[in-house]
Amino acid sequence: MPQHRARSRSRRPQHSRAQPSGGAPPLTPPQAAASMDPSPQSAPPTGDDPAAAADPELPRLTVTQVEQMKVEARVGDIYRALFGAAPNTKSIMLELWRDQHIEYLTRGLRHLGPAFHVLDANRPWLCYWMVHPLALLDEALDDDLENDIIDFLARCQDKDGGYSGGPGQLPHLATTYAAVNTLVTIGSERALSSINRDNLYKFMLRMKDISGAFRMHDGGEIDVRASYTAISVASLVNILDVELAKGVGDYIASCQTYEGGIAGEPYAEAHGGYMFCGLAALILLNEAEKVDLPSLIGWVAFRQGVECGFQGRNNKLVDGCYSFWQGAAIALTQKLITIVDKQLKSSYFCKRPSGEDACSTSSYGCTAKKFSSAVDYAKFGFDFIQQSNQIGPLFHNIALQQYILLCSQVLEGGLRDKPGKNRDHYHSCYCLSGLSVSQYSAMTDADSCPLPQHVLGPYSNLLEPIHPLYNVVLDKYHTAYEFFSKE
Amino acid sequence: MHGRPRRPAKPEDEEAASAKAAKLRDLQAQVLHNHHARTACRYTKEAIGLSFKLLEINPEAYTAWNYRKLAFQHNVKELSDPEAIKSAVDDELRVVEVALRQNPKSYGAWYHRKWLLNQKLAPVDFKREFGLLDKLLKVDARNFHGWNYRRFLARFMGVPDEEELKYTMDKISENFSNYSAWHNRSILLSNLLIQQSKGFESKQKIFSEEFELVTQALFTDPSDQSGWFYHLWLLAQTSSPDNPQLIASWPSNAAKLTSSLIKEKVEQHTLSSIWSRTVPIVLYFNEPVKGLNQSSVNLKSDLEFSKDIQWRPLTMADSGYSNCWAAYLQISNECSSLQEYSVEVNIPCSDDIVSRSGSNYNSPVHFTFDIELISNDTAQGLDLFDKPVAWNCSESFQSHGNRDPIPVDLLKITSALVEQDSNWHFERLSEEIDLFRELPDDNSKFGKLTLARLLLACAAIKSRGRSLIERKGYCEEALGLFTDLIHLDPSHKQYYEDERSLVLMDKLTCDMETFMNHCSVQVQPNSAPLNHVQLCRLSLTRIGFAERLLWVQMLDLSHNSLRSVEGLEALQHLMFLNISNNQISSFTALEPLMKIISLKVLDLSFNKIGAHSIDTTRYICSSPFSHKIKASEAFEEYQKVNINVEEYWDAIRFFRSLKLAQLDIKGNEIASKENFRTLVVTLIPCLKWFDGEDVN
Repeated sequence: MPQHRARSRSRRPQHSRAQPSGGAPPLTPPQAAASMDPSPQSAPPTGDDPAAAADPELPRLTVTQVEQMKVEARVGDIYRALFGAAPNTKSIMLELWRDQHIEYLTRGLRHLGPAFHVLDANRPWLCYWMVHPLALLDEALDDDLENDIIDFLARCQDKDGGYSGGPGQLPHLATTYAAVNTLVTIGSERALSSINRDNLYKFMLRMKDISGAFRMHDGGEIDVRASYTAISVASLVNILDVELAKGVGDYIASCQTYEGGIAGEPYAEAHGGYMFCGLAALILLNEAEKVDLPSLIGWVAFRQGVECGFQGRNNKLVDGCYSFWQGAAIALTQKLITIVDKQLKSSYFCKRPSGEDACSTSSYGCTAKKFSSAVDYAKFGFDFIQQSNQIGPLFHNIALQQYILLCSQVLEGGLRDKPGKNRDHYHSCYCLSGLSVSQYSAMTDADSCPLPQHVLGPYSNLLEPIHPLYNVVLDKYHTAYEFFSKE
Repeated sequence: MHGRPRRPAKPEDEEAASAKAAKLRDLQAQVLHNHHARTACRYTKEAIGLSFKLLEINPEAYTAWNYRKLAFQHNVKELSDPEAIKSAVDDELRVVEVALRQNPKSYGAWYHRKWLLNQKLAPVDFKREFGLLDKLLKVDARNFHGWNYRRFLARFMGVPDEEELKYTMDKISENFSNYSAWHNRSILLSNLLIQQSKGFESKQKIFSEEFELVTQALFTDPSDQSGWFYHLWLLAQTSSPDNPQLIASWPSNAAKLTSSLIKEKVEQHTLSSIWSRTVPIVLYFNEPVKGLNQSSVNLKSDLEFSKDIQWRPLTMADSGYSNCWAAYLQISNECSSLQEYSVEVNIPCSDDIVSRSGSNYNSPVHFTFDIELISNDTAQGLDLFDKPVAWNCSESFQSHGNRDPIPVDLLKITSALVEQDSNWHFERLSEEIDLFRELPDDNSKFGKLTLARLLLACAAIKSRGRSLIERKGYCEEALGLFTDLIHLDPSHKQYYEDERSLVLMDKLTCDMETFMNHCSVQVQPNSAPLNHVQLCRLSLTRIGFAERLLWVQMLDLSHNSLRSVEGLEALQHLMFLNISNNQISSFTALEPLMKIISLKVLDLSFNKIGAHSIDTTRYICSSPFSHKIKASEAFEEYQKVNINVEEYWDAIRFFRSLKLAQLDIKGNEIASKENFRTLVVTLIPCLKWFDGEDVN
């Protein structure tokens, strides 16, 4: 690899073209030209660059490239070991270490070390990051523990609605999402009825900005994350209505970038986490046509790299948690092919403009909604999951499982970002969620079970299916859906 | 959610950690207590100090940030001395800095700083803010909080975009893999060009410089992703047209159309019939537009036709935008026969006609064509199909005496219009092409694909002065690249095949000389001579450049690999179509043909219709039975005659919209199914020939 790079660089043509002439600010300051020109004459080795200093013939690699190569090498070693192994060994290597993960997660629920103090403002998240993966592993909690969690979250529930990061703190949309998803995952009558929906609705209205977008908390920041957590919770507990929904879709559409993905706020670059949040929220609002789906799919598909896992943004390192953010989002699009097809047909020969234009061209969907107060928003999430996939996976579902099983699992239990990193509950939650999504992504019939060839490793690796719009286990979702549609 | 602090790696001294945690718990309890307190002492110096201590350890404590905002607002009210206010603001700014040092991705901390600045209580220290950002982006050049704050700051302080552009350059020179910097560059440049800022009046100059810049990065390391993304953005900016333009029409300028009136049965009175003829006018734009109507397109003629001309988009999508628009002139027997009429089409600049990006139509076009009407009650119409039409054309290739076989004016509109602004695009792209041809890494698929895209962008700039040979050279080279790519990157094979097909069609139709090899005039018995085009055995997988085929009446696309016929809907004069021996796998893939009103003969034999039990295109096109009960009522009449509607709904939809006289469908799985022939005959009452046999 390094040799190949060296060769390709040294053969670069010496093109001498006129520098930008005067008038405009020089776009290529001398130091820029130097750092990008690998020819030895014009690239004086600078002191702080070991590569250039060591060998003037070898061009300098950027920090990003060095990091990327390290990760590739590390992952490559693991995969080579797999391919060289005997079939039996292979099967063992590809096993999901259920018991260890269960042990790690349950232990965390009972006691966390003092080092967790930095997560003091995120305590419902800790509950969700442990309770949800346990449900994915089909591991029931004992009753006492469940009740403790319900009681704890009740203390996080603000008297004026919403859940805070810990008792006494301000209610916050993200922790509200974590708390509600945890309670739905516990699923008992007691858990579900502990949510004060009237107050929750009022809290959400308070969090709504005049632009339509949501802010995270009183006086807090506005971004796509806030919109998703609000819409997801509202849809899940059946309080989503036109009042909450209006303007959100347009805000999200304004965050789609020319790359195809969705950014956290307008003008920022596309980001896997926000892209999931944006897409899932749009689907829950039945407004997925507001973003350019073909270019979104293109962006996500190319975030899966040679390491088999996903990166979060262009030219960043692979990270196990994007197995869910990117993996689930692209799996969602398997049910949106009707819209994709429409958009493709109408944009034949023409690059679709992003941003403001994207919403003006397809706003017919929402204007119709605005005038009808009878829109049943909870239905959108329900109907979506009833639908079958309209097409096979648009990402490499087996490769993703390979990355999660071989590179993200930690022998002592728990999952991680990438080899060389430590396990944590956040990554355990999202690696396992991503694993579940990829195991079920090749199914065409919504009611059947995945075929063995779509589950990498022994079939016992199969996790519970999730509802990918909310990221809660599907059975739990159905219980909650029934519970909240009664009221 | 992501980027929350992780658990520290090293098992610290347990006791020390416990003590720290206990201290933090204590701190948090006190801060929250103060936050909820209703007494005057809630905002004392000590109380505020405690919140600082908490945030210093845990910047994620958003409640504490809010507490500080309230405290700040409360306390600042009592200050009047600007110096004191400034020092209060400074204190807050310092807290944020300390917090960011602990966690550079703390949402709360970044937002607190934005909030403070927005209070506009004290002059902002420009240097300090940008210094802070520099420090943080040095630690993590991709920290999106940092970039967001930078954009916020630039807007807030009114920093000219030019300055910010310089900053992105610095960052790129530090590390050309820094995609965040490239990305911000694209945002800033877009702004500058839209505002026509000083030094940015010329798109041409700016993009030339940008191409040069990014190419350097790409050559330094073709395997790095960041530059390719930026290059893609640049290419999109360079090759996209500024305003919609009409690139072709049929009839075209000065064309002579011979049109015979046909005796058509009027459904209501079964015995009477009228002489009439529908003449389609097709307009083809370089990008999808909407807003064509009677006022935006003026039609003038001494020929009488029905008053309300409707312009309809010819597209499968219902977005209202289309490259291709058609209007149908209904000429009836009131016109006396055997005469020539002239029709004038005039499209002035119009605010009605707009592209998707909102650009108006501002390239006025005016053209005239003639229609010659023949009323011939013996030879025309049904008699044409006395015998099945044979596709074996080898003998029918005859140049037809006094008639110019192909309208040479066909591409006239195109070349006249696109000339003015395309020179710099062209030169810019040519330079890029020269450069990319020398890209050292022979097997870089990025490199090959980009080169191919550049070549095509270049070939697409049509200009009369440009040499055709040069242009065909570009196509030729791109063809080679796509062929390489099909082997090099088999997982995207279908995409490359489709692209290759488009290039091939471009190459074969871009000049008259080459095109003529595929064109002929065909004389069928009992018919006026027909314009015939043959594009067989070319491995085409899709149709492109339909705007050059608008005049075709007989089209032979047999022995290709077509998976779709999208594009053919523009061919409104098409009567005979041969797509036998292709890869069509469903009726839904044939949907565009439903829009061709003149289609009489269709050869679908030896395709793959019905071969796959699961037809993926069926998923795309929702079955009328899956959701809507209403739609299925329309099929009731077929149910009555014992047609299995559930199985054949897509066939029913397709065939009943066609008025075919002849259909060949043998060699498809579906044709061997029981009752299929009966089905087709029922659906197309005017069908005379089915798979070579007389229907009656």
